[in-house]
Amino acid sequence: MGCEDMPSFREFEHTGDLGIEVVAASRGELFRCAAIGLASLLVEMNTVEANEDRSFVVTAETDADLMHDLLAELLYLFDPQGFIWRDASVKEGERSLRVTVRGELFDPARHVFRGEIKAITYHRLMVAKSPEGWRARMIFDI
Amino acid sequence: MDLVKINEHLWEIPKAGAMLVPGRIYASEKMIAEMGDDPAFAQVANVACLPGIVRYSLAMPDIHWGYGFPIGGVAAVDAHAGVISPGGVGYDINCGVRLAYTNLDLNFVKLRLARLIDTLFSKIPAGVGSQGAIPGLSFEDLKQVATDGAQWALHHGYATERDLSHTEEGGRLTGADPDLISQRAYQRGSRQLGTLGSGNHFLELSYVDQVYDSKVAESLGLSIGQVTVMIHSGSRGLGHQTCDDYLKLVASAMARYEINLPDRQLAAVPIESREGQSYLGAMAAAANFAWCNRQVMMHLAEQAFVEALSISPQELGFALVYDVCHNIAKFEEHFVDGRKQLLCVHRKGATRAFAPGHPALPEALRPLGQPVLVPGDMGRYSFVLVGCETAMHETFGSSCHGAGRVMSRARAKREARGRDLNAELTELGVSVRAYSRAGIAEEMPQAYKDAAEVVEVMEAAGVTRRVARLKPLAVIKG
Repeated sequence: MGCEDMPSFREFEHTGDLGIEVVAASRGELFRCAAIGLASLLVEMNTVEANEDRSFVVTAETDADLMHDLLAELLYLFDPQGFIWRDASVKEGERSLRVTVRGELFDPARHVFRGEIKAITYHRLMVAKSPEGWRARMIFDI
Repeated sequence: MDLVKINEHLWEIPKAGAMLVPGRIYASEKMIAEMGDDPAFAQVANVACLPGIVRYSLAMPDIHWGYGFPIGGVAAVDAHAGVISPGGVGYDINCGVRLAYTNLDLNFVKLRLARLIDTLFSKIPAGVGSQGAIPGLSFEDLKQVATDGAQWALHHGYATERDLSHTEEGGRLTGADPDLISQRAYQRGSRQLGTLGSGNHFLELSYVDQVYDSKVAESLGLSIGQVTVMIHSGSRGLGHQTCDDYLKLVASAMARYEINLPDRQLAAVPIESREGQSYLGAMAAAANFAWCNRQVMMHLAEQAFVEALSISPQELGFALVYDVCHNIAKFEEHFVDGRKQLLCVHRKGATRAFAPGHPALPEALRPLGQPVLVPGDMGRYSFVLVGCETAMHETFGSSCHGAGRVMSRARAKREARGRDLNAELTELGVSVRAYSRAGIAEEMPQAYKDAAEVVEVMEAAGVTRRVARLKPLAVIKG
């Protein structure tokens, strides 16, 4: 299952903030879809080109913490570093993720900004194996 | 969740399970019915589990589902035996509202509105992709901002002494330690001083359309037909990162203090612990950044008026009514069971609302009670209230902070499909400029409760009372 057209990344109802659910066939794909999905919330994807790479590693004790730290690191890549991505690859370890995202520097003249995300909260944060494969639910503060 | 009706505007969640105190929610019967089984009720009960909490876990009538605390949540814990919860303050440390008045009347501004709003839009950056309102700030500059708060703005020509005296805490929370803010947080804040942000942040041009207490309104400088400016923003990336940094630290330390809580986002440590003290020093520093941020934006707004309308600052007469923070933890003395007690009051989407005579209020405002600024949605109205004596007895001197959302952002976007919200708002007499596409749909008026109903509940409970109502003319959304 791919996530390019984002059927696997959807909003769920949350009154104050933004609830996001991700479904994927595998654990690695789950993190990859979440990474690309986050970018699609920040900037209109059809305006972003994959010209440059950025790589980083996150380590954490649980899959939920890996998800939190992956997305928090990506937020930091967007703001203040100004990098927006349209693709991602994730090499998974049991307690680490090696992540490469491909995109370009954000340019307000070319890119369509959709809105800021302040933070990835821990409220009801969940990553688990499901009948469909893997599933994550998280709430972003916006 | 079963709620017990105490009276027409107050409901109780009885103490059960790990709750240390009951929950209490200020709301009308209609509001409670409309909330159904909203998760915000469970959040009130979760907050009641915080060690050291006194009397009640409270929620104001703008209550809705947040993360950790409900939005509209107030929890007071003993300052010595209690805990501090970074998630209870929230990511946007010292998110708040300020209101300034002008000497201009509605008719004068209406004729020049397009030019004025365009100038405001061009002068006040949203944040992403901009260099900020003050380019070239060094880390040392940012540390000074975190230490001095709005006083930094005064020292750099962005504020007057009067502005500071009309800002909660004088625009500077004591105990700030700028060295407790991470490099990453400073990086995130480096180009954001004087920027609005997005989400529900805004700058609104409005006018006074109703006065409920002419004496107090006059003392605050407000009269019918007068044009005002309201700014809603916070500590930007610097505050968001600070909360994230300390949530991790606090969560990892909880086991050592044998603290267990039902929601990870509520992570808390004893106030007197090393981690608790560190967070409080960092929180104060981030709060100071937020006060300076709103002050700089107010200065930019004043410049925009002068430029767009070709008038002098004296003719404009721009002056601050008040500035309140609504995401914060503060040390305050309150009476608990007849005895004065030092408490740490967490307000998450709630406003301090001290009664007349409180020594924390500046001399000019002390006889009136603290002004409480309650923005409504962008199509209807906002309110200026003042704190009343009952607030000191029942809500730890706290009131509501806004209308409160009633619709999820997902649903608001669905409901906005096929509609021209800009045209609908124009029909209501409100011009809108937005930096982001999602801005207008997610913040459509129907996504919010009616602010009038919210402030009426607070008034019926004797917590705050209405002074004036403001109608929007134009809104800049981040």
